Amino acid sequence: MDPSEVEFLAEKEMVTIIPNFSLDKIYLIGGDLGPFNPGLPVDVPVWLALNLKQRQKCRIVPPDWMDVGKLEEIKELESKEETFAPIPSPYYMELTKMLLNHASDNIPKADEIRTLVKDIWDTRVAKLRLSADSFISQLEAHAKLDNLTLMEINTTRTFLLDSLNCMYKLRTNLQPGSDKSNDY
Amino acid sequence: MSDALSEASDLSGDDSQDVMTPTELIAKLEEAWLNEKFSPELLKNKSEIVECVMEQLTHMEENLQRVRKGDVKASIHRMEIDRIRFVLSSYLRSRLQKIEKFFPHVLEKEKSRAEGDPSFLSPEEFAFAKEYMANTETYLKAVALRHMPPNLQTIDMLKAVPEPCLDSFVFLRVKERQENILVEPETDEQREYVVDLEEGSQHLMRYRTIAPLVASGAVQLI
Repeated sequence: MDPSEVEFLAEKEMVTIIPNFSLDKIYLIGGDLGPFNPGLPVDVPVWLALNLKQRQKCRIVPPDWMDVGKLEEIKELESKEETFAPIPSPYYMELTKMLLNHASDNIPKADEIRTLVKDIWDTRVAKLRLSADSFISQLEAHAKLDNLTLMEINTTRTFLLDSLNCMYKLRTNLQPGSDKSNDY
Repeated sequence: MSDALSEASDLSGDDSQDVMTPTELIAKLEEAWLNEKFSPELLKNKSEIVECVMEQLTHMEENLQRVRKGDVKASIHRMEIDRIRFVLSSYLRSRLQKIEKFFPHVLEKEKSRAEGDPSFLSPEEFAFAKEYMANTETYLKAVALRHMPPNLQTIDMLKAVPEPCLDSFVFLRVKERQENILVEPETDEQREYVVDLEEGSQHLMRYRTIAPLVASGAVQLI
């Protein structure tokens, strides 16, 4: 899967905006939005929020978790836990990137948030690499991956799955008596 | 409650027994898209979803024709249409890619399907697969096979084209709790064991073990 497609999915997440225009309710195929009134917060999907922001029609309210204090707690928990700690949003990385790139003026302490999220990401991806390593070396057939986000899975998907397939093919051809030896 | 009902009646697909709101319909399309993207084999076609979504899109586009240019609402609707259209075409494209990759096996499966069973392919996909098969054969004959000695002039497509590898690992999220899923051992020394798949949990395991659950919609590939 392309990272941009993961981002596409993240753009469906809802975010609160404060519009500076008024508009009636919109009846989209994917659900109703609005009504929009100047100064009144309203929830919209990220794709719309970013579009309105680019047209300078709204201010984006950062999600609750996008806050230095909360992120520091999460970072600490993440480095203490051996497994993947629960994460406030399944798209935390993509949302941080998109909101900070397009609306950093609406997010207090944007730079600190960027660094913290990057740290959390690095810790988690390091854990993911470690567990992938032990998954392979112990020849496991099943792994539980709670709290892992789509973007994190995506960083290792192709490499991990292809290597597992290769190893599987090598192994099944090695084991005597397996009639699985194939023609390709 | 009355809201849900009035919304549901918007959906013009009267032929489907389970009434869906357009919102649910889009969610279903996205599920199908991700499943198709990540499963190693071609899944059952979801032509009822595709048709309903197409209907919604045309309907919306017709409405937009009547709106004057520069309207904010219209531009938002257009953006949504573009997003849905992207998912729809990506879904159909990944099916076509799989058909191109596994065409003899896809057609073989279609042939061996029992009378009355729903087809894996939509009529259009079936036509595409047949044509692709015929064209490939003609091509191979024209370029190479007819220059071969007579005993080497036939080719068995089923053997020549690799089968989908159902033993691939896939990532999945559980939507409905499942008990006692048998995990086969990787080596002869290991023993098989069972796992319970809790709702909302995520796993990495072989596609073969959970293929029926993907088909029934109990798990979502991610």
